Amino acid sequence: MGVPLNAHLRRSFYLFAAGFFGLVAMLAYWQVYSREALANNPENGFQTQRSISSPRGLILAGDGETVLAKSVKRETPQGPVYDRVYPLGAPFSNVVGYWSTRYGATGIEIANNTDLSSIAGEPQTLDDLINRATGGPQPGNNVVLTLDPELQELAYQELQGSLTGRGSVVAINPKTGEILAMASSPSFDPNNIDDNYPELASAPDAPLINRATQSLYPPGSVFKMITAAAALEAGVSPEDTFFDSGAYELPGYTVRNFEDKEYGEVTFTRALAYSINVVFAKIAVDIVGAKALTQMALDFGFGDPYDDFPLPVSGSSVNSLPPDQWTTGTLAQTAFGQGEVQRNSFEMALVTAAIANDGRMVEPRLVREVRSPDGIILDKPTASIRRQAIPPGTASTLNEMMQQVIIQGGLTEAEIPGVKVAGKTGTAESGNGNAHSWWITFAPADDPEIAMCVMVENGGRADRGALPLAARLMRAYLEEGV
Amino acid sequence: MVLALLVTTLGFATLIFVQEAASPPLVYGAYYAGTLFALYVGVRLLLPHSDVLLLPIVTLLTGIGLVMVFRLTYNVEGAETLALTQAVWILIGSGTMFLLVLFFRNYDRLFDYKYLLAIAAVFLIASTFTPLGYTVNGARLWVDLGPVGFQPSEFARIALVVFFAGYLAEKRDVMAATSRGFLGIELPAIKYFGPVALVWAASLGLLVFEKDLGSSLLFFAVPLLMLYVATGRIAYILLGGVLFCFGSFATFLLFDHVQVRVQSWLDPWQDPDGTGFQILQSIFNIADGGLLGTGLGAGFAQTIPEVETDFVFSAIASELGLLGATAILLAFLAFTYRGIKIALLAEDDASKLLSFGLTAMFALQTLIIVGGVTKAIPLTGITLPFVSYGGSSVVGNFILTGLLLLVSERAGRREAEGLAYKKVPWGSP
Repeated sequence: MGVPLNAHLRRSFYLFAAGFFGLVAMLAYWQVYSREALANNPENGFQTQRSISSPRGLILAGDGETVLAKSVKRETPQGPVYDRVYPLGAPFSNVVGYWSTRYGATGIEIANNTDLSSIAGEPQTLDDLINRATGGPQPGNNVVLTLDPELQELAYQELQGSLTGRGSVVAINPKTGEILAMASSPSFDPNNIDDNYPELASAPDAPLINRATQSLYPPGSVFKMITAAAALEAGVSPEDTFFDSGAYELPGYTVRNFEDKEYGEVTFTRALAYSINVVFAKIAVDIVGAKALTQMALDFGFGDPYDDFPLPVSGSSVNSLPPDQWTTGTLAQTAFGQGEVQRNSFEMALVTAAIANDGRMVEPRLVREVRSPDGIILDKPTASIRRQAIPPGTASTLNEMMQQVIIQGGLTEAEIPGVKVAGKTGTAESGNGNAHSWWITFAPADDPEIAMCVMVENGGRADRGALPLAARLMRAYLEEGV
Repeated sequence: MVLALLVTTLGFATLIFVQEAASPPLVYGAYYAGTLFALYVGVRLLLPHSDVLLLPIVTLLTGIGLVMVFRLTYNVEGAETLALTQAVWILIGSGTMFLLVLFFRNYDRLFDYKYLLAIAAVFLIASTFTPLGYTVNGARLWVDLGPVGFQPSEFARIALVVFFAGYLAEKRDVMAATSRGFLGIELPAIKYFGPVALVWAASLGLLVFEKDLGSSLLFFAVPLLMLYVATGRIAYILLGGVLFCFGSFATFLLFDHVQVRVQSWLDPWQDPDGTGFQILQSIFNIADGGLLGTGLGAGFAQTIPEVETDFVFSAIASELGLLGATAILLAFLAFTYRGIKIALLAEDDASKLLSFGLTAMFALQTLIIVGGVTKAIPLTGITLPFVSYGGSSVVGNFILTGLLLLVSERAGRREAEGLAYKKVPWGSP
């Protein structure tokens, strides 16, 4: 034997071994490195396919029992398919959203998809891991919302019965930031969304829009709370007196009061109670100034993106121009929430809650907890402070002034026997049709449990539109323990 | 031996666990386990000195293959019984191997008929051009034998390895000696090289015209590697490499189907619903598996055309994940390792070359198809040994394993006798 074969054999084996390890590396590249990119590739239909072939988790209301969304099994020749069913339908659909393999998803359905979907995300319990490893059934996790189901339902009914049937209600626990109700009307039935979507998407009254967070309106006089806060910070006290002549002339713009009334000499508290535009415009121009007013609005969350909030929030704005380019006319209009000021009811509710909670803005929350199918708590966000918008002293002064709005303003409809209620009206010129009707309120004023913002589109005078509606909800929540 | 038994147990345990998870009829598992266990015991009795690891690995691979074929076809209309058919093929393969082990213990005699085998192999391949041959998926590599279709190239390749082993063992010394130069590379006299090149070219040419790219690649590479092992001359590999470049370029220009394959390898996104569909679905499925896999039965591997044959590895990677797929690859590597080890221990050149050739074919086949479905190399349609669905392939690979066992038996016995002989002076007074 001339040449030893064995050396050649060994070399060949190393070649094969290198080939095998190359393949493992290739697999690792696909299965680990570029896994995400491939899963989300538009040519890859697995996500959709899987989403209908395994049950999603439940969406539950704040009581932990009321089912807002569930997956129901249906046998098909291709194997079981799960349909998404929403037992309570329209009153909750602006928050819960819909889940469609054709039209995508909205609301909590998409915001908490990683929790609800049985396949997205990493396994979170041992059972889950075993189920996945053996290919067993994999129901998604359950999401418990903060919504009070009865208050939500009632709020939706009230909006339906309002003057125009268009508007929104946002109620929040000022101390914890939990959203107790977020109703939007008109709404839609999320069941059978695949069939109804084209019609809903083109409907003129836009039922798919969540009016509480996505619609921006001029806030009108409810914005005076921000002007008042800025005024108090600038040294104005509630007992300071101002003279109202019924009109305030500025270059190119004359401020008038609602229904052209004239009040004469009034205290600052009374000016808020009667919502006197002239006084607020004067204070803004003479005492506060554009910069401080804008800063106060920013402190109260104007322009915040609320990226952490599960639902999309349209950004509010004070004015398209920076404050140093404002005319006095702009400043005067802004002081009572007209001009270019844009705000939605969700953010206005947060302002109210901040005043009620000693000036602290709490992070708004819609999800109370996430539970595994067998009840293990996987995630339970706790209350956190967003920022201190105003000092506690200023907040308690505003609290007192808002109680006087009801007492001195004679808004008896807002009163609840034995409970101190605070509030502020807003009747905002809308540009077309009736004025928008706003009412912000919280109670009990000495130990607030609930802060609320009600907004009725083209609902007319606040004390006849939004206020009575909110008062009924407040009473239901506080007296009947809804 | 302890290790071997452990691996056997582990193989069966994995098998039974996985089968129960997919819940096929248990009779299946019992039948299958019984057959292979009987084969294992039979081989241990007949060839007590043969390699102990090969059969457990084969058991593991065929078992996983059976599970995957069952999982991929049990709910497909018209293919519900495919796994049963596969089980029957495993039975036939085991039987063939048992007969081989029983009657061909003197496998040397095969080398005496090497020219006959070579001619038979070429005729086998050419048989697909007879009226009995037919075309599946554009490749003409099937022969209709009444009740069953049969792929002659699966058997022809084993016969060719036997021929090359016998011939090269006889002539390796002359072929290693250089006698003339050609383009700066020293080559032996043509007359020695002739028969090898002739058989090689004939079989290769036929396969190219059958459009069987995967087998062509195997037929090209295996004899080349055997030539290298026999002579130890890198020059052959280099020459082969140059030939390969020319050859593949020529086929690329000559055949549309080769162009399509290369196109869909380079850029499958160009036509994701057409020519790129299969490879993209394969990649999506593999990626879908991630580290741990989707779990058996929870993947979408059925979206891949031909998943139970050529693409069975994608299904494994998808449902058993990176870890499972790597384990399978390691099992293949272990088989290769044992095969090379058998070659190392074999006593004569012909046996060494035979076992090496068979092992190289096994390893390369795995590398080519797994490389193909993972888009590491252009896709060429061949089966994953023992795992893919396919009767001819399973039987062919059982014959391959049987030959390896026979070679290892002889080496093992010699070693045992040597030890016994050495022991005598101490053992007896």
